[in-house]
Amino acid sequence: MSAHIFRLAAFASGFLTIAVFVMMLVLGWPLFTSGQFFAILTGEWRPSNELFGIFPMLVGSALVSVLALCFSLPVSLGTAFVVATLAPRPLRRAVQLMVRFMAGIPTVIYGFVAIFLLVPFMREQLTGGSGLNILTASLVLALLIAPTMIVFFVSGLQNVEERYRLAVDALGGRPVQKLLYLQLPQAWPEITAGIIMGLGRAMGDTLISLMLAGNSVAAPQAAVDSGRTLTAHIALVIAADFDGMQFKSIFACGLILYVFTAIVVMLLRLIIGRSMCQV
Amino acid sequence: MRRWFERGIVFWSWGSAVLLLAILLSLLSYLVYRGGGVVGIGLVFGDVPPFDALLLRRQVFSGLFPAIAGTFALVLLAVGLAVPVGLAAGIFMAEYAEGQIKWLLTVLFDVLAGLPSIVVGLAGFSLTLILHQMFPGRLGPCLLISALAIGFLILPYVIHSTQMALESVPPALRRTALALGATRLENIRQVLLPTRLPDLLGGVILAIGRAAEDTAVIMLTGVVASAGLPRSLFEQFEALPFYIYYISSQYADPRELQMGFGAAILLLVVCALLLVIAFIIQQTLSRRLSRF
Amino acid sequence: MMKCFGKSLMFGVLFLFIGGTANGGDLDAFAGRQGILKIAGGTAHIPVMKAAAEVIMSGNPEIRITIAGGGTGIGIKQVGEGIIDIGNAGRKATDEEVATHGLHMVKWAIDGVAVAVNPQNKVVALTSAQLQDIFAGKIATWKEIGGVDREINLYDRDAASGTREVFWEKALKKGEVAQKANVVVSNGAMKTAIAGDPYGIGYVSVGHIDSTVAPVVLDGVEPNLETVKSGAYKVSRGLFSLTKGEPVGLAKAFLDFLLTPTGQKIAIDKGFISVQ
Repeated sequence: MSAHIFRLAAFASGFLTIAVFVMMLVLGWPLFTSGQFFAILTGEWRPSNELFGIFPMLVGSALVSVLALCFSLPVSLGTAFVVATLAPRPLRRAVQLMVRFMAGIPTVIYGFVAIFLLVPFMREQLTGGSGLNILTASLVLALLIAPTMIVFFVSGLQNVEERYRLAVDALGGRPVQKLLYLQLPQAWPEITAGIIMGLGRAMGDTLISLMLAGNSVAAPQAAVDSGRTLTAHIALVIAADFDGMQFKSIFACGLILYVFTAIVVMLLRLIIGRSMCQV
Repeated sequence: MRRWFERGIVFWSWGSAVLLLAILLSLLSYLVYRGGGVVGIGLVFGDVPPFDALLLRRQVFSGLFPAIAGTFALVLLAVGLAVPVGLAAGIFMAEYAEGQIKWLLTVLFDVLAGLPSIVVGLAGFSLTLILHQMFPGRLGPCLLISALAIGFLILPYVIHSTQMALESVPPALRRTALALGATRLENIRQVLLPTRLPDLLGGVILAIGRAAEDTAVIMLTGVVASAGLPRSLFEQFEALPFYIYYISSQYADPRELQMGFGAAILLLVVCALLLVIAFIIQQTLSRRLSRF
Repeated sequence: MMKCFGKSLMFGVLFLFIGGTANGGDLDAFAGRQGILKIAGGTAHIPVMKAAAEVIMSGNPEIRITIAGGGTGIGIKQVGEGIIDIGNAGRKATDEEVATHGLHMVKWAIDGVAVAVNPQNKVVALTSAQLQDIFAGKIATWKEIGGVDREINLYDRDAASGTREVFWEKALKKGEVAQKANVVVSNGAMKTAIAGDPYGIGYVSVGHIDSTVAPVVLDGVEPNLETVKSGAYKVSRGLFSLTKGEPVGLAKAFLDFLLTPTGQKIAIDKGFISVQ
């Protein structure tokens, strides 16, 4: 009896996950039947001319998340080195706590502080323009995804059997040597997984890009341009007429994000055979 | 050459950690600098005496009380929905599921865990549209829809922590009760779950944190800028993270902006407290239980 | 710090004042009523809606009023679908919109849409032609129109905005808006964005203009209450609230309240022009 309840709960949860995809597919169906899907993926967004392309948002999302990754990767890797090996034990714990705390900071707070601290700085010192641009958003996103990546990196680096580590110590190896020649070479799967996971997080975040990227509908040409991500686009267009094509197009965004998530999950399975819920 | 390279790595690693710490500290101190002065009873209750507000004798218009109450109700509902389902599903995954079914469900829950929250919000919004077409009454975005969506958002984390907790029970302990004639269910209820309770609680508390901070989902499913205290499942509501987002883009005067900073401090403290509680539970309970 | 407290004190006094002037007669329609009233749509309306809701709810604790933004588009759509009770519109609903959903429209204030820049900006007057060129992206720096040598940062509203529709029709003469423009979601957000960006230009409800943003003189006419009232400033509009069918119950009481002296006083206090 109780086994049936457990099974029902699990199947229902799994079914709901599929249902989300189907629901978006059904509600966005006119996009596919009218043969516009491809045009929507590659076209520009000019609602007044009946053009509902989401290409600029695709570019925006890709640019923001890749840049965030580029900023975050070196810092996260360095911090992971400190946590995994370089720091003495008590300090290691302290840095780890800091990372955990950072993971717990609400996204909206990062965005809120950045509006008043980072945006004026970008405007006056670095990028010019309004200070609301892809670069600003990706800098803050880099901070957001750092804890996720650090946790993956650290668990990869610590994946070494104790006796090998002791062996390096016994041979008089310094911590950095242990790190570079023992721990790092075998940590690549976890590091790749962390990178993919970080990219997924960056791609999926809404608030940071909505608050900081400027939301213009032109496809960004450079990092200092204002841009709009797929996620922010959903948040902005949700207010449109439910029956119009404009509204339907957000389901295309939703489907793309869903498929992207599925790909990330599959890649993670292939690389480390582990789940996303870890962080 | 190699030595310089190694030194460079050490320098860069420490630099990275210090950089993160510096950013974190400047973020925190900026929040306190801008909003610290406003944190207090007045931030929550405005000019209404706290007692009157808590007893619902007077409504709070210039404080965060409605937003706090909204977030509280939302989290309570969402966790109330997600925990029983997640617990049951997690037990199934750990104790009953096998082979391809297990693989498929694991992948699905992973996808669910990875879905951007705005997509979950969009799903919730679509649900309202469908319900609205089916019952062309008055159902629109509301607290219930938001709670459902947030519950769905945190569901995979509850499932995962339940599953991990159960699967980490050592085989010897797992089989003892069964060997003594306990049924599978008795074993789960009286041996497996109690031993791994700290892990479970830790997972749930982290899920609470997630439910409390998410903005994108509720933005699409029923949060509004002004609604007063939540009194019905079918009404719109206010919430702390949305308030912060709203203020960031449209504060009307310096006082409102300062309240936005106050709200940010409050939300941060709540999330930090949840983390600390989860941490303490995991530490103390697991130490006590390790004596078994 | 002191300044902030001073302002908040002032604000508190202002609220008391509004509350105090609510003479009983205008609120009689709410006495003994209960229930919930959902309002959404136009973002220019929000300050008035909030103040009116506070006055009504303070005296009648059984009445609950929720206020959301979203823009005119969402106000009209949702009230038509019956999701909310009152939809706000910053433009007149089209005949088509009124016909499909059987909407009933009440105009309770007059407002203008002003071009706004940061108070630091030296450019204080523009011609229509210059404005259109700026928004089309043809004039790209402030230097070209007598300002500093910085790029112009355009701020635009989302498609659901009634303010945008009025501005686009009457000020831009349906001209192009450059794609690179930043997009914000409400009148409040526009004001905040312009107040924070010394090189920005956008457009905002005249009622929302305060010391943090500077209105731009357009074709020799400064946008303010007088010029909008007299018709000298052309980019004007009504503020509307809509119901599905004839308003009944709380919605009717609320709309009637907006037209009472107390309701109109709130609209005037929030920077709009009374319809009386």
